[in-house]
Amino acid sequence: MLFSDCSDEEYQEIQEIIIGLAIQIKIRDLVLVHIEKYLRQHVAPSFWAKFLKVEEEVKGFQLFKSAVNDLYESLKNFSPILNKLNTLNNCCGDNKPIFGERDVLMGFKQLLRATLLSQLPLDFPVIINHFYKISFNVFDNEYENSEMPDDIMCSGCWNESIDCNCAYIVKIFHDTNRKLVELQLLERLTGQVLTNFIQLRIESHIQKVCAGTFDVSHIGFLENWLDTTVMSWLTRIYCAGSSKPQPDDHIVLNAISKFKQKLSYFLYHSYTKLRIDQLFNIVIDYPDSQAAVDDIKLCLDKTDLRSTLCKKLQNALETRLLHPGVNTTDILTAYISTIRALRHLDPSGVILETVTKPVRSYLRNREDTVRSVVSSLTEEGAGSELAEELVKFAVDNDNENDKEEDWDEWEPDPVDADPKINSCDRKASDIISMLVNVYGSKELFVNEYRTLLADRLLGQSVINTEKEIRYLELLKLRFGESQLHFCEVMLRDVSDSKRLNALIQQDRNFESLNSKFSSNAMILSAQFWPPFKDESLELPEDIKQHFEAYTKCYETLKGNRTLSWKPHLGNVNIEIEIGTKKLDLIVSPFNATLIMHFQNKPEWSLEELHQVMKVPITILRRKITYWQSLGIITEKTTDNYALVDGSEASKPSGSRNQVQDMICEDEETESVMASAHDQREGELQVFWSYIVGMLTNLDSLPLERIHQMLKMFASQAPGTECSLQELRQFLDTKVRTHQLILQAGMYKLPKT
Amino acid sequence: MAQNINPHYASSSNPAKQSEDTIKLKDNHAVSKRLQKELMELMRCADKGISAFPESENLFKWIGTINGPQDTVYSGHKYKLSLEFPNSYPYAPPVVKFLTPCFHPNVDTCGLICLDILKDKWTALYDVRTVLLSIQSLLAEPNTQSPLNQQASYLWPNQPAYKKYLEEFYNKHKDS
Repeated sequence: MLFSDCSDEEYQEIQEIIIGLAIQIKIRDLVLVHIEKYLRQHVAPSFWAKFLKVEEEVKGFQLFKSAVNDLYESLKNFSPILNKLNTLNNCCGDNKPIFGERDVLMGFKQLLRATLLSQLPLDFPVIINHFYKISFNVFDNEYENSEMPDDIMCSGCWNESIDCNCAYIVKIFHDTNRKLVELQLLERLTGQVLTNFIQLRIESHIQKVCAGTFDVSHIGFLENWLDTTVMSWLTRIYCAGSSKPQPDDHIVLNAISKFKQKLSYFLYHSYTKLRIDQLFNIVIDYPDSQAAVDDIKLCLDKTDLRSTLCKKLQNALETRLLHPGVNTTDILTAYISTIRALRHLDPSGVILETVTKPVRSYLRNREDTVRSVVSSLTEEGAGSELAEELVKFAVDNDNENDKEEDWDEWEPDPVDADPKINSCDRKASDIISMLVNVYGSKELFVNEYRTLLADRLLGQSVINTEKEIRYLELLKLRFGESQLHFCEVMLRDVSDSKRLNALIQQDRNFESLNSKFSSNAMILSAQFWPPFKDESLELPEDIKQHFEAYTKCYETLKGNRTLSWKPHLGNVNIEIEIGTKKLDLIVSPFNATLIMHFQNKPEWSLEELHQVMKVPITILRRKITYWQSLGIITEKTTDNYALVDGSEASKPSGSRNQVQDMICEDEETESVMASAHDQREGELQVFWSYIVGMLTNLDSLPLERIHQMLKMFASQAPGTECSLQELRQFLDTKVRTHQLILQAGMYKLPKT
Repeated sequence: MAQNINPHYASSSNPAKQSEDTIKLKDNHAVSKRLQKELMELMRCADKGISAFPESENLFKWIGTINGPQDTVYSGHKYKLSLEFPNSYPYAPPVVKFLTPCFHPNVDTCGLICLDILKDKWTALYDVRTVLLSIQSLLAEPNTQSPLNQQASYLWPNQPAYKKYLEEFYNKHKDS
């Protein structure tokens, strides 16, 4: 080498000669070229030669250590030359930068990095990986398990505790890092590996800490953990073992803070991802999982995972909730807690809207949705979140007037919001209206409530009107007075009936008839009650007379009005005596009538019963099983029934009792009201006459025109909200029954 | 010149017309209400053989259908009519015309009908249903005293010949 063999004095002389000859620049450049060549041909290859693809971690550790060490040593040998070159350079005075740097030393480092990296082998991370893996293990051990008692194995270096290598590894690790930092190679060589490691650590830490528990906020702990544990590793790596960086070392400080930004983003990102994966469970657990929702809310602002969240939750809802195996009530419960949780997560309501779209359309297709919603609205006790919500609404409603004053807190909608929908609507709609909106109209809900109320009022013998009135008041607040007017009348009917009953019972004309049995009528205003299922039933003569007398009394009490009896509704208290046996029963009028006929004549054929009672034979056959199960009537021959005499009746068999239970239950659950579906069918029949009128006069029309015309001309008829879809279905059934012809998209009446 | 008139003057200069307009508007509403009610009535108790429905979104123009009355030469035929209601309905009769060509003593070749209740005998008590029923019965019992269609009037007493002519008439019109 050029200057290596001469002492400082000799060099001084040489330099003076060089300066005297004015070739200092040339010499300097020449030396630089030689250094470059040497680095390229010797230093770099020997450094990279150690980067083998080894399997064992310890070997990799040693290899990397020795590679760095050797590199460091061989560069140390350069320092005398560099010193001399520096003095020479100072004499040049041409201010020419050396490899982009002012300083010879810096220039040299630059040159070294360039040379090394130009020869970067493909699998260089392998041994770096090993190196850091071992070191991190030791660190982990140090930080995480400090309180663990001494084990046989040191979990840091996998050696037996007695000859634990940890201290040595830590020393080497810091040493190597210091050298790399000095050469400014740390980031370039190990940055990727380091980041991967830390990210893995963060992920596994999050998994360990946060899996399964939603009731604690983790984000604070995680941030803290990142700040203390993770960052102190990093600082140690960058600052060669000391846990605090030099306050004036800007390069290191910069590098660390950049790293920290990266890592904290990653922390939020992976935490949010984990939470999003669990979101379905979180949502279901809400409000117990509020802490987790809070965390997600915080993290969503720092990450860009909104759309992932929407997609994932939507998928989860679809796969776990929206299939035929789930009860409607369960879907509703899930939907409600989803609304609550997402409301909290995103007050603007945009996420909620996107996520629950499939839920809404699914619920729309379920037949019992309305019924479930309405019954849970009016249910008491556990599981009736909606009832609570209803009460809450009544309270909230009172202090909602100061909304106008919040104008200065206005915030624009998020970018993913649907511009077609008013943001106020999105925010204002509460849980009940969201459920009501599943169908798009209040009317259906109100109708269903009416049916339910009617069922309840007629089904109970003792009516708790106060409770019903309370609910009605709450519902009125929600749906408006006019919609629920009918229900109000229904409730009043109940109390009026009580009064009228008392009055009629006192009537002298009626009293004489009253000796045989007493009766209690429920007087309903036909206009306001939902239509009843029509069942024919001819009552025995005695009872008919009794009813007629009742009607007469009523007519005298209330001028201009009369009663039309619904003989198949209500309850009858009967006492049956057969031989020694005595039974007290509460049965339906139907069953009472049936058994009364047997009172006068012990044997009946179905045909005869049909004649007397005017009821279809199939129904008779079904109903008579009730008495058979009680052991009072037997089927002597096919379709011929006879009363069982006392001696036989005394021992009804056990299995028969079971049958009875089953039948009784069956009867109780049956609603006396025409179902919503049947009612709707009836309403659509109104349209049918219009459609016929339309098509007789205008020959043939497409679906849209019919729909439009109905909207225009048939809008006073009840239940006039008829969607295009519904109309199509209706017309299709008419086509199927050959009442209509569909030809090239036009509906036509068949030629008669 | 005309456009320079102050609209205030312009409108106030003709107060009579203005009030007439508002009356008309109000009436218009009442008329639609009445027509709507008539339609509902007609749809609810659909009489056999007569029917009518608004032609399009315009409630003042209807199409009616009459089946030829039983046991007459017209039985088995279907007649389409157009009904146009004036704004003064029901104080003025609707204008009713046959759309289907109709060979009849009191119907001219353009479909115009000579029926007293559609002219001077009209009262507000009549409605679409009664008008259609009247026309249906007119088919059965023409007034041959004041015919619009001389040939039909002449032929009417001879029912078999009339029927034969009628079939030919319709066959001809079906072709055209």
